[in-house]
Amino acid sequence: MTNTPVILTRDLTKSYGSSAAVQELNLSVGPHRITAFLGQNGAGKSTTIKMLLGMVRPSCGEGTVLGKRINNAEENRDMRRKVAYVAENKPLYGYMTVEQTVRFASSFYSDWRADVARWLLNEYKLPPERKVKALSKGMRTKLALLLAFARHPELLILDEPSEGLDPVGIEHLLQMLVAQAAEGVAIFFSSHQIAEVERVADHVCILDNGHLLVDASLDQLRQSYRRIDLVFASAPPEREFRITGVEKIQTKGHQMRVFASTNAEAVIQRARDLDAVSVEVAPVGLRDIFLETVKEN
Amino acid sequence: MLWYKAWLETRSRFLTCLATLTIFCAVFVGHAQGLIRPEWKTDYNRLLFVTQQFVVIMWILAVVLLGMGGIVRERAIGTSSLTLSLPVSRARLLGIRVGMGIFEAIALAVVPWTTIFLVSFLARMPILISQVGFYVLLLLGGGSAYFAMAVLVSSLVEGEYTAPAVAFGLVLLTAIVFDAWLRPFNLWRLVTGDFYIDRHTYLLSGHFPLLGTLASLSAAALMLLASVGVIQRREF
Amino acid sequence: MFFKLNPTTGQPLYLQLMQQIRHAAETGALRDGDQLPGIRTLAEELVVSPNTVAKAYSELEHDGLLELRQGSGAFVTVKRRTRSLTDHVQVARRRLRDLIEQLREEGLLDEEIKRAFEAELLYPAEIVRK
Repeated sequence: MTNTPVILTRDLTKSYGSSAAVQELNLSVGPHRITAFLGQNGAGKSTTIKMLLGMVRPSCGEGTVLGKRINNAEENRDMRRKVAYVAENKPLYGYMTVEQTVRFASSFYSDWRADVARWLLNEYKLPPERKVKALSKGMRTKLALLLAFARHPELLILDEPSEGLDPVGIEHLLQMLVAQAAEGVAIFFSSHQIAEVERVADHVCILDNGHLLVDASLDQLRQSYRRIDLVFASAPPEREFRITGVEKIQTKGHQMRVFASTNAEAVIQRARDLDAVSVEVAPVGLRDIFLETVKEN
Repeated sequence: MLWYKAWLETRSRFLTCLATLTIFCAVFVGHAQGLIRPEWKTDYNRLLFVTQQFVVIMWILAVVLLGMGGIVRERAIGTSSLTLSLPVSRARLLGIRVGMGIFEAIALAVVPWTTIFLVSFLARMPILISQVGFYVLLLLGGGSAYFAMAVLVSSLVEGEYTAPAVAFGLVLLTAIVFDAWLRPFNLWRLVTGDFYIDRHTYLLSGHFPLLGTLASLSAAALMLLASVGVIQRREF
Repeated sequence: MFFKLNPTTGQPLYLQLMQQIRHAAETGALRDGDQLPGIRTLAEELVVSPNTVAKAYSELEHDGLLELRQGSGAFVTVKRRTRSLTDHVQVARRRLRDLIEQLREEGLLDEEIKRAFEAELLYPAEIVRK
């Protein structure tokens, strides 16, 4: 099992006029894992993905996907043979029927699996003869995802895959993601749905205003991010707690709340050294990590 | 299956235009059933000449319509992310679209004129194949620039309805400009055969205008190459 | 086997899975020789990353609780060490039961007791030992 990154960027930048959508992005997405790409709307997630797939040209910097340069048209095209991508708006050709769509997509990829396609068509109850423009939004989403899941690519890139799906659909989507991952497909997906990310992601990248703020394994975040609530007899000595790992300190009267991304033990030790009246430690869920990280930026 | 996609995308436009052109020609020429007198041959040829004028207008409008589409339009309707993620070069995407358009343009020239030929034959006023060929080649050779112009416009102008508006606007503009200032180089008159018509017999005579046609075809080629360049540089 | 992984506690999912498998072995729900589902099957069932299941299985194999056989799957091996561990856990649970009753008598609510336990557990072991 090699560990060559499936996506690697170096100072990848995209500016539109004076504003930068993506700023000096250094992304390294590993194989054999599920990486989630979090960020607010407009943080630069879709722009990054488009640069990787050759739809948008970087202003600066470079990148490779599956070892192929994203800036080079032929290499990028070569790479797209082994990458499955579903855009945020789940694009499909309205004038094609479900069956024509499946036949069309399958004709481009040698990694197409007809048996999986058939099974999914059945599972999703997609009528083969119906034109795409006559399908409901949920069915269109499922068909668009089917075009990716019926393949066995090296890398699967999904932009907000669960948008447009009901809870049953979302559950099925996550199961398909897990199934692909179990077959060795590297998965890179962007999402707003923190709950889903927390369940299936191995690794999390948080993008804000074009900058990569967090790039860590989810387990590592779970183990090291802590919220420490302290109560002091007198005014809480905020200055004493500005140590490595502390992301944010909030003070209210005698209470102090410390968010530490690492080094929680040092914070606890200092609290005890400073005779804190009460020390309570709690884990921090991904939603709070995301909100705190983005707010602080 | 990109050819299939191009066909599905242009199918209804093409078939509608083909039906319109063919029916028009059949009716317009067939209407002249009353002129079944050999001594009225000249009038018949004149009728054919007039028919060509109508055919030219309709054909040019049809190929401009067929030149619409492509990934810039797909961006407006939201499917460009799908098309551009395919492992296919942008040049190939454009090339296949243009190829399908060319096949359709040829059909739109050949089928109506073949119909005219058959109708004339059945009305016992047979016309020379060479005349038919002349008209068809004038149409294809001279009119190709309009198709290429439409392709270029569809690569530059975004918006599902803006692109056709600009393209048709340009057709109108060129017609006016050619008529007002560039009479000797008037593409319309070339394509309709106005330069070569013998006013006595109303037959197209003389040599086939290779130079004019070549100029038009070169302009067409240049515009198509420009389209490729535009598409390759564009961001989606 | 019924496993339930909670993504919002401060504990990595693979650790939770390991604990639940261990617990099952201790209480006898899983016996020596029982086969656990394959990595892919369990991952799809729990809807978690296959890496989570793989890591849990691999760590448990390292601890001696599981035997991973190439091609066949993961098999439980309850050794004597684990059996004595079960006794330890039983004793510990009796002590906890007494403590909890005591705290309840002192007027603490179950929710408060639970939060106190969780907070104390999050103290890294070194600090506590000091």
